[in-house]
Amino acid sequence: MSTLGLLRTLFNPKIVTPNAIQLQSLNRSPFLVGLFFNHEQVRTMSRVKRRTTHPPYWHVLKNNQRQDEKISSDNLRFVREVIQDKYKNKSPIKGSDLDIEKKEWDPKTKRSGVIARNIGVQHMWEKDGKKVVCTVLHVLDNHVIRYVPPEEYAKSIIGAKVFRNRKPLGCLVVGAEAANPDRFTRQYCSLFNEVGLLPKKRLARFIVTPNAVLPPCTPLTAGHFVVGQAVDVYGKTIDYGFQGVVKRWGFKGGPASHGATKFHRRGGTIGTGRDKARVWPGQKMPGHMGSERRFCRGLKIVRINMKYNVIYVKGTVPGPTNSIVQIFDTVLPRRKFTEAPPHPTYFPPEDGTLPQEDIWDSSLHVFGSPSISV
Amino acid sequence: MLRRAVLQTFRQGLAQSFFKRNAVSLSETTVTHQPIETSDEADEKSVSKQKPGDESGNTVVVAPPEFRFMYPEFLPDPAMERRNRLKEKLERIDMLQRRSVVEIPEFYTGSVMAVTVADANSPNKFARFVGICIQRGGSGLRAWFILRNVVDKQGVEILYEMYCPLIQKIEVLRLERRLDESLLYLRDALPEYSTFPLDMEPERRLNNSVVPINPLKVKLRPRPWLERWERQNLQGVEDLNLPQRFYDKAEKVAKPWEKYDLMLQYRKTIPAEEQEKIFADVHSQLQQQEFKRKIRRRRGIDNEQ
Repeated sequence: MSTLGLLRTLFNPKIVTPNAIQLQSLNRSPFLVGLFFNHEQVRTMSRVKRRTTHPPYWHVLKNNQRQDEKISSDNLRFVREVIQDKYKNKSPIKGSDLDIEKKEWDPKTKRSGVIARNIGVQHMWEKDGKKVVCTVLHVLDNHVIRYVPPEEYAKSIIGAKVFRNRKPLGCLVVGAEAANPDRFTRQYCSLFNEVGLLPKKRLARFIVTPNAVLPPCTPLTAGHFVVGQAVDVYGKTIDYGFQGVVKRWGFKGGPASHGATKFHRRGGTIGTGRDKARVWPGQKMPGHMGSERRFCRGLKIVRINMKYNVIYVKGTVPGPTNSIVQIFDTVLPRRKFTEAPPHPTYFPPEDGTLPQEDIWDSSLHVFGSPSISV
Repeated sequence: MLRRAVLQTFRQGLAQSFFKRNAVSLSETTVTHQPIETSDEADEKSVSKQKPGDESGNTVVVAPPEFRFMYPEFLPDPAMERRNRLKEKLERIDMLQRRSVVEIPEFYTGSVMAVTVADANSPNKFARFVGICIQRGGSGLRAWFILRNVVDKQGVEILYEMYCPLIQKIEVLRLERRLDESLLYLRDALPEYSTFPLDMEPERRLNNSVVPINPLKVKLRPRPWLERWERQNLQGVEDLNLPQRFYDKAEKVAKPWEKYDLMLQYRKTIPAEEQEKIFADVHSQLQQQEFKRKIRRRRGIDNEQ
């Protein structure tokens, strides 16, 4: 193994988050760089395929490939009635209906996450008048579709990678945004047959400990989270398309004037000619930028609106407005729960009343309250 | 009774006259200068209209059309990629909540205003600034306006965020409009046009239903300027007296086709139907708040007496 490789394994522990595969982050401390690395550039992501335009091969075909069939209006109506009949009797599970025995929460519990849509950014103010940029996340109509127990999940392709040297955990498949079954293929709709729900547009997997399992058809709402807790948000970053080297890598380019001929936003030299005598893998060049999986860790929830199922999170999340994100309890050790959260999830009271419609964090200034005087 | 703004289409051009997107009712199109309405007509029009009815036979309440001038920050940013109806609705609720605590009066670019802000570094813990509004913008809770004044021969501009909870009071000392929507040229004008006494009293208006337009033409200082004012079609400045080459270059650089560009206007504005919906949603609460404030003011006057 090369010196570089050896040093990497010594100084950089593999950080694998349970909810997605993440490549190891490299230690770029100036001490190490100066001492061992000479002028070698660190190129981690050079050979890794970072994005695909197709889903993994084990996914079933999702969207209906047929063209619009010429159905008469009577038949269309009949089809709609059939769909309504098929799905009408399913009611969401209440807290008292939980089949499994309610298990206790402990600090090592991993709860389910939630699929939400990033609907925009709103400015709020803290009690001392400081402005805070908050992202508004709308928790869609989430339902639990399936639970995959730890032993079974560890045998799957992703599960094997994630739990290679660790004790395996279970996996909850959660779906959001119910849609007309017409737009999906039969194979995709069959994923929801067991549960009897309308097929969902988005599916996500959340790694859970066995004591946080939820039965299928359980709804997940904004009340799953607690105001003041820290969450991690996973999303796909804004797609910038094919971008040049100045925007993509932050190169300085060339002078705008002073006789520069056709050298304003170019990269310049791409190698020395002496050392190695070739272009190194990972050389920063123009290319596709954005549309990558990213996590924003430790974002604080400052407000929850239970009526509209909306969470306000301090900071910004990956992805453009109206994109889908996944929210789950943070993995950061110092910001984890110390007290039990709604476990395994929040169930609204049986009589349909909301205990509190709009819950604010204590640090925020509530809009209806008097102006701040310093 | 709501004050009624004078109907004047600020945006020039053929497109605006006929395109319903600008929410100007068809009977009032193609005119750039409206005759000043009598107070009776204004009274009638200021009451919220009741549409004859939709298919179900229910009457639909519609806000008066001047709402889009009085409360422009309730209209969201027109960029379609970033629009979301639920978020806009929630933001409006928050804006109304804030307005129930602090009166944010109707004002326009060119109005002289006084803003009191909580300030830890002030001797009284409150800082009051008087100035003329030279620009306003933003939508939703990010709405802002800039006040300009000249204090001790130093031009001072302060940007205030309308919904910031540090703001204690916003008073409009002189409610009027100017010939331009943005008065940034006051930075290059003679200082007397931007000077207002810091202890200015609020001025009473004789005719409450109409917001006057001040046809003042401002004199600019000699060049150099901060911007190329000759390229901006300013109505509110006196003749610039520049050499002809400036005007020639301005013509070369001008985009006269933009006033015929329907799609450009479409993308810059919120459709009329949506505007009506938004203001219908909001106006009943605003009217209630206005009413409560009037009662409080009357009670205040009575108590004083």
